[in-house]
Amino acid sequence: MIPNRRDFLVGSAALAAGASVSVPFFRPKYHSVRRAKRSRVAILHVEEYSQRIDQVLASGLRLFPIDVQDKTVVLKPNLVDYIPGNAINTHPILVLAAAESFRRMGAKCVIVAEGPGHQRDTELVLSQSGYRESLRAEDIRFVDLNRDELIRTQLCASFMGMKSLWLPRTVLEADFLVSMPKIKAHHWAGVTLSMKNMLGVVPGSRYGWPKNILHWKGIQESILDVCASIPVHFVIADGIMAMEGNGPLNGTARPLGKIVLADDSVAADATCARLMGFEPDRVVHIREGSKFLGNLSPALLDQVGEIPSAPTTPFQVVPEFQHLYAL
Amino acid sequence: MRLLAFRLTSASHQYRLLTGEGFHIKSAAVKNDGVTLSNGLAELSRRQLSSGGWAALRSSAQASLETTCLGALATGSEDSDAERRAQDFLLRVQNPNGSWPAFFGDDQDGVWVTSLAVIALRDIVSAIPARLRGIGWLLECVGRESTWLWKWKFRTVDRRVHFDPDKFGWPWIPDTVSWVVPTAFAILALSQLPCSCGRLEDIPNRVDRGIEMLIDRACPGGGWNAGNGVVYGSALAPHPDDTAIALLALSNRTQHPVVRTSVEWLEHTAPTLTAPWSLAWAILALAAHGRAVESLMASLLALPDLSSNGDTSSLALACLATDYRRALAALGLTL
Repeated sequence: MIPNRRDFLVGSAALAAGASVSVPFFRPKYHSVRRAKRSRVAILHVEEYSQRIDQVLASGLRLFPIDVQDKTVVLKPNLVDYIPGNAINTHPILVLAAAESFRRMGAKCVIVAEGPGHQRDTELVLSQSGYRESLRAEDIRFVDLNRDELIRTQLCASFMGMKSLWLPRTVLEADFLVSMPKIKAHHWAGVTLSMKNMLGVVPGSRYGWPKNILHWKGIQESILDVCASIPVHFVIADGIMAMEGNGPLNGTARPLGKIVLADDSVAADATCARLMGFEPDRVVHIREGSKFLGNLSPALLDQVGEIPSAPTTPFQVVPEFQHLYAL
Repeated sequence: MRLLAFRLTSASHQYRLLTGEGFHIKSAAVKNDGVTLSNGLAELSRRQLSSGGWAALRSSAQASLETTCLGALATGSEDSDAERRAQDFLLRVQNPNGSWPAFFGDDQDGVWVTSLAVIALRDIVSAIPARLRGIGWLLECVGRESTWLWKWKFRTVDRRVHFDPDKFGWPWIPDTVSWVVPTAFAILALSQLPCSCGRLEDIPNRVDRGIEMLIDRACPGGGWNAGNGVVYGSALAPHPDDTAIALLALSNRTQHPVVRTSVEWLEHTAPTLTAPWSLAWAILALAAHGRAVESLMASLLALPDLSSNGDTSSLALACLATDYRRALAALGLTL
């Protein structure tokens, strides 16, 4: 049967209508591709938190062509809450070592900044977790990102369907932003590494404690939108004492003995996930992030230092994330 | 002899008072809280922005509504211009729908700051219409778990966090679920009204629901955190400030076992606190529950750099705790 003109017009109109409805679902949700051709990752072996970390980190950083001369460096640790005995927060010894290294590398100013997601009293977390005294002793400025001055920022991706977020000036004005996560399993996101760590910049003074809007919009989606909009220049991940199970607060301490350095947060997180015994492309935000933010494939990583290997026993996770395990 | 200023020697936990005549240095017991209060208030006045608001951090110039409300309540102890300027600021920045934004320049409704603004404007006749609009907005605002769909979800497919969705309160911002602090602030704000007639007749019902929600969200060993008592079967730890704020809202439920356990937890924890924000909230809550707070007050006043604390909310709250009888009265509570 040969279609007549009327059939053709109706068919074309139906096709156009179908396309207009379905195209948005296939269109990329990121506005630009920031992924480098290759990324560099270093795994450093460190058994315990000690003054030796200073030297190990300094030599690890020399493996990267970092230029922080006359720049403002912002270190963003994972500082969530304090529960005695739980390996929740990035250890202050590592943060101090990073600050010292960047100062020696010529940074104009090094700031430590964080906005705890659970605890409103940032000063209490700082004091209980050992940060307050350490930062004061080394004369390092701390900025509470939950209460910093806010700037409305257009998001560079639309995974969660929001056009903008109010974000802290200190982070937006950083010349060199370093995400310093604690390597942990996470009961809502699967893992909390350098990308998830960036949700700490979303201010409680605007979005509440916890930053509940991000849960409603989707944690994986929120991570992608925030990471697309705030470039992380470097990652120093604390896996000396990591956490498995019901993280980020109530998991079990898991000695891993590693610090992971990377010039790409997707590459860093993929490497950390492998060290935890997970397939990184099964973590939604790492997989989606590898399409536009950074590199996941080992073929695209210049691995320096140790070669990542899966642990004999993978990290425990809550039942919803059993699918993360490598086969 | 006029007192000009004080400095703290943290080693001895005593003050050195500089006096106006000859600057003699005296040791004084920590009890002289009037000196601290006046210093704190003077510092607060210095930090007040030209708009009448206060920024959350001394380094910022962006007026935060929570800090402004705490500042207005704190400066209300003196017949100063600061409180009036702050109240004028609050009236100017109210959203057309009756809510208040989280900070000046924001475009959304902040639930907890709306409650605080209603409290901070309590004594002004000209602010009655604004307060009523704020209260009306608060009555319309509910945690998302109060709708049938989300109730069903939390009862059936999403049981990772242990809570009863029938017991709901207020979220931090609209379209999210209820949390402890915004619910407690809303209870305090709504409980201040002398009557619940006309369009305010839903107040007792909402307050009761909010109280039920607070009791439901308590941590198993007493106290509250943001609002998740048990997740994946694990009991989460309480936070001193969240616990204190919840206890202020529950100050007329002293016999409830959850309240009693939580007061005991806070009384046990408060002496270990080293941050002014949590310690000040603890003082207010324990005083509201009839507990002795003198030693906690001494600890608060002995904290180093209290007046130079960069967090202006903490400074304002420390001033309120120092004058806790008046602060509790401003919150609608009596000793």
